Amino acid sequence: MTDPLLSVESLRTTFHTDQEVVRAVDGASFSVAPTETLGIVGESGSGKSVTARSVLGLVEEPGRVHPDSSIRYHDPAFVQRTARAHPDATFWGGDVDNEPDDAFVTVHEGEQSGENAVVKRGSVDLVSAPDAVVQQVRGSEIAMVSQDALSSLNPVYTVGNQIEELLGIHRGLSGREATETAEELLRNVGIPDPERRLREYPHQFSGGMQQRAVIALALACDPSVLVCDEPTTALDVTIQAQVLDLLARLKREQDLSVVFITHDIGVIAQVADSVAVMYAGEVVERAPVERLFDVPKHPYTRGLLRSIPGVATTGDRLPTIEGSVPTPSEAATSCRFAPRCPEAFDACHEVHPDAVRVAGEEEPAERDAPPAENGTQSRENGKPPAADAAPGLPTANGEHTAACLLYPATLSTGERVERHDGDDRSNRAPPSRTDASGAAGSGVSE
Amino acid sequence: MSRVRYFGRRILLSIPVLVLGGTFTFLVFRFSPVDPAAAIVGTAATEEGVAEYNRVRAELGLSQPVLDHYWAYMLDLFTLNLGQSWVVSQGTPVTDLLNTYGLRTLWLTFWAVLIPIFVGIPLGVYAGLHANTKVDYAVSVFGIVWRAMPNFWLAIILLAVLSQSKSILGFDWSGFIVDTALIGTPDLTNLTTVDGFLEATKRILPPAIVLGSASMGSELRIARTAVLETINADYVENAKANGVPDRRVVWKHVLRNALVPLVPTVTNEAFLLIGGSVIVEVVFGIHGIGWLFFQAALNADMPLVTALVFVFIVVVVGINILQDVLYALIDPRVGYDAR
Amino acid sequence: MAGHTHSTDDRTRDEQPHARDDRPLRSRVAETPRPAAIWLLGAAALLAVELGDIAGAVRSLGGMAVGAVAFSYSGTLSVAGSGGTVGLLALVGVVLGFFVGGLAIATWTRIRVLHRVTDRFSYRTRQLLDGVVLGAAVALATWLGVTIGAVDVLVAAGGVVRSLLGVVADLPTLTARETIPNRGYQTPDGTWHGTFMSLAPAYAWAVRVVVVYGYVAAVLAWTWMGYLWYRAHYRRVDWTPRDDVVRRLRSHRWGQFGMVVTFLFLTLAIFAPSLATTTAQQNLYEPFSHSITHYDANTDSVRETLVGSANLQTQSEGYASANFGPMSYDQYDRFHPAGTLTNGKDLWTFLAYGARVSLVIGLLSIGVSAILATVFSLFSAYYRGLVDLVLVVVGDTIMGVPRLLMLILLTVILSDTWIAGLYNGGILLALILAGTGWPFLWRSFRGPTLQIAEEEWVDAARSYGQSATGIMRLHMLPYLVGYLLIYSSLILGGVILAVAGLSFLGFGITAPTPEWGRAVNLGREYVASASWHISLIPGVMITLVVMGFNAMGDALRDAVDPKSDDGNAATTEADARGGGA
Repeated sequence: MTDPLLSVESLRTTFHTDQEVVRAVDGASFSVAPTETLGIVGESGSGKSVTARSVLGLVEEPGRVHPDSSIRYHDPAFVQRTARAHPDATFWGGDVDNEPDDAFVTVHEGEQSGENAVVKRGSVDLVSAPDAVVQQVRGSEIAMVSQDALSSLNPVYTVGNQIEELLGIHRGLSGREATETAEELLRNVGIPDPERRLREYPHQFSGGMQQRAVIALALACDPSVLVCDEPTTALDVTIQAQVLDLLARLKREQDLSVVFITHDIGVIAQVADSVAVMYAGEVVERAPVERLFDVPKHPYTRGLLRSIPGVATTGDRLPTIEGSVPTPSEAATSCRFAPRCPEAFDACHEVHPDAVRVAGEEEPAERDAPPAENGTQSRENGKPPAADAAPGLPTANGEHTAACLLYPATLSTGERVERHDGDDRSNRAPPSRTDASGAAGSGVSE
Repeated sequence: MSRVRYFGRRILLSIPVLVLGGTFTFLVFRFSPVDPAAAIVGTAATEEGVAEYNRVRAELGLSQPVLDHYWAYMLDLFTLNLGQSWVVSQGTPVTDLLNTYGLRTLWLTFWAVLIPIFVGIPLGVYAGLHANTKVDYAVSVFGIVWRAMPNFWLAIILLAVLSQSKSILGFDWSGFIVDTALIGTPDLTNLTTVDGFLEATKRILPPAIVLGSASMGSELRIARTAVLETINADYVENAKANGVPDRRVVWKHVLRNALVPLVPTVTNEAFLLIGGSVIVEVVFGIHGIGWLFFQAALNADMPLVTALVFVFIVVVVGINILQDVLYALIDPRVGYDAR
Repeated sequence: MAGHTHSTDDRTRDEQPHARDDRPLRSRVAETPRPAAIWLLGAAALLAVELGDIAGAVRSLGGMAVGAVAFSYSGTLSVAGSGGTVGLLALVGVVLGFFVGGLAIATWTRIRVLHRVTDRFSYRTRQLLDGVVLGAAVALATWLGVTIGAVDVLVAAGGVVRSLLGVVADLPTLTARETIPNRGYQTPDGTWHGTFMSLAPAYAWAVRVVVVYGYVAAVLAWTWMGYLWYRAHYRRVDWTPRDDVVRRLRSHRWGQFGMVVTFLFLTLAIFAPSLATTTAQQNLYEPFSHSITHYDANTDSVRETLVGSANLQTQSEGYASANFGPMSYDQYDRFHPAGTLTNGKDLWTFLAYGARVSLVIGLLSIGVSAILATVFSLFSAYYRGLVDLVLVVVGDTIMGVPRLLMLILLTVILSDTWIAGLYNGGILLALILAGTGWPFLWRSFRGPTLQIAEEEWVDAARSYGQSATGIMRLHMLPYLVGYLLIYSSLILGGVILAVAGLSFLGFGITAPTPEWGRAVNLGREYVASASWHISLIPGVMITLVVMGFNAMGDALRDAVDPKSDDGNAATTEADARGGGA
């Protein structure tokens, strides 16, 4: 089991406005493995876009990423560079939980030799890292493709100008070389006659071409992870298919990891390797894509899948989920989906569910696993944890989790409630780096 | 439609405006309750007086039938044969007057346009970049007050302050750097020498500040709003996400886009300066075109007044076209039908 | 009223069905009569206190209206009858006026019944004929009325109404200056005679000021309460888009500054006779026809002096021994909150009545502009083609001439005509301002009214059961009204600047009608002397009022449409700045 490339744990992003506090992302955890496509799916208001922006450190006043969140980037080369540049902030312990407060680089495997440190496995926490470090991640390691392509492009500069700007920053190219590389990039994303197009302005491109241009911009940075925030939502179906194909090809050619954010679960089926379903700022289900579509566990996911036109086989009305996504302003003390959930029972309104492993019903019941760390998945029954798995990291490989009081289905209702509740209470985050305004996951309403 | 056609259409539409403007001045000249000839000749009821009156009337074309007069008048206007002044400076061709007086107004408006651009816009940009801080509030209030202050009032206050500069400000303005008087027309004949240039500039600065005061407030506000809007734009976020350093984001992406709404603002302000220059010139005793117009109106020198009005209309039309040109240069989206 | 939820959350508002009560207003009121009763009582009390003033105001306005009708009738007759080119032009003007008026009415009627016209293209010329016919009908009616002597009947009827109102107008009112007089004299023993409760004039005046502002504030507050109560108890639906506008206005701090300044200014203008220290008639217009009593220390007796002579003794001329600054008494025991002018007249009275002049000119010019703009936009939208093009060219030309210059030019040309005599040039100014200001308004109205005339749009409206007029009323009108409000507040500031600038130059309002700009001009020489107040105070007031109106306009714009992309921003700038004054 290899390290993921990007791992997000208990991400909390809140917006403090004059009228209210909005907890746009409230304890989301997921990870992306190298060359994997993670699909994040959810309705409007579920916190998907804020998640993307939090990862890139683009959340500004009045928004804040809670310092207890962790967003870790595991690319060894990058970690190595950072470790060399910030030796004082590097922790050579290997156990993320024991990382001292002022360290944002953790090395699991490597040699500590000051300026010539070698890192084979480690991570950088982007939440606690200074802005200068995050700046280095932006573009070169993680690049973004946004939804509205036309407004993502600066209208007063030519497309070529904008691509070459990024080439200059990230690859150090300029002049003739930059122009040629830019042409190559445009050709690679399927824009014909790139020489002419480089000299044109964004509004002269068609919708599909604009989206391709934005992808080209992202690729100009030579990233390892591509975060795509609803890149095809504004396109019509045929163009959408082309762009998705393009993305798949590019991913193959350049060994990219992709985080694909969308509300269209049909698109997810097409592009994702694994899926995280978000609701009201939380990840309610995580699974490999086939498992998700095969045996969706969380009632919300089931509702989403039922509402795909074409999937519904009975009746003349498309099944919908009544109501709309709430905008949470307080810490969760119950299941946020409960008001809309067809399968909710009493405890759902009182106990906040954690993400628990869901096996298929036919698998043998799992006996009690040791209490999960920090509200993440428990380990598979009977199998020792993979020897080299970094402890405490949410792993992506093949695990299917859901945050619902219906699971683990093998326990009785009472046991389940206790399981979620107890975990909740015993899972107060260690009082590290907490500020006076309340610890994470305390379950105390404000 | 292509940009060339867009310009062509604009220029084409200006022609009826000029014609209408000229017609209006003709109507004023011919049909106003003020008799142009009477104003020139006076009201002597003697025989020579009456003969003189008729002679002047004939020369002014007033005795011609309306349509003939109209035709001749419009022809003259469009060939820039603007006649002469009859009362204010009798016998001087209008074009000569324009040259002498126009230069002074040009010098005044030049600085009145420049100062707001170089003071107001940077202040506004700074305020926009640091929105909702104390500095921002201070700058915004400054802009609002400056914009609301009446030109004429600011002019006399400034004059009073500068005339008492020793006691109020602590230094003597008149003798500062070069010796200048406070009131009166600056000497523009020696602009090429350092001394001449300094003197002319120093003399024009107070009236230019007054004339440009409202512009400064306006441009400050618009610059601030423009920066605020651009800073929150998607492409700025996208650039940041793709790793463009903050400094360059501001200088390259934000400012260039914030410039777009500023261009029409600056040109509109320039257009407003024409009216405002009358007051400033009168208060500061600068004998420029505005002052000339004021004198002509006071003395009912109708030929001069109507000629000047037409000149102003031409200038305004020119500024409008210039505005379109600049705007098209700044914003590549202009002229393209998005649909 | 039960069953509605107050949702302050914009997002969820659209999802909840609005509580809607379709009973007629009467039954809704009958259900909870108390708030209505209380409010009506309070309103009656406030009204009663000022009844005399209100009646008086109605009386004089009505008198002016009747007088205007009679005057314009006789005026046009005489001008048209005087023959020559001018007479002919006047006649042509009158006929054109009737045609345009008739056309406007016909167009309006046509648009209202638009939904019944399916193929209107073939009707175009017929509609132009509509205007001719209607105009002719109006002209005929007028002529008939004139020959029968209807104008005289109108004048007579007006007279009767006026005398009736006159009785009511003589009732004592709370805010009148007579209730709290501040004019008196002081005997050597220190007592004041003739002032309110024997207070010193300064305090008496202060009391009256407080009473006046307090009254206006009470009226505003009571009206606001009434609106809130209406919203809570009697309104048919529990939320309309206007509620959002109001909510945004309430939290807009800059706008609140604007509202406060506007409130202060409007009260000053409307209640000028009460807020000034003396009356305009007495001090400004006919100082030699009024006299004051004062205690003369020289002769140790109470004397009467002509106000004019007194003024001559109280001139502020720049040096300490001949200066009456702010908040001072003169030797006649008159109190001058803002000092005196160079001709001895009280500056504060000058400013208070000057506010009135500015307000009247501003409102008049905006009103006329609005009418012109609406009529022209109707034409533009309905007939399009050539009519629209002509209007565009004319509008552009008018917008093209620098406003201040136009003002100067036209004021000079028309200075000897009878119009210039009205209000000492005020009416003329208002008309010129309206004539140069309508293109801006028209440009903004043109868009939405063009939409009305779109046939597809009307079809779409009909397809879901909404009539064209219904949509016009529900959506267009609020937008137009909103824009009119915003425009008016910005323009009022600009008008004040323009008129002040003009008066400063000596062109605008002539003596003795007060105007702030003229005060600035009067004090021009003395700014650096002891009489700095003459120029400084009016200037500061102008700045504050303009700032206030701009703030109001901004707040209204933000409230009505926070995301408004004002395409006319640059042109309204020009208007808001008075053309460069």
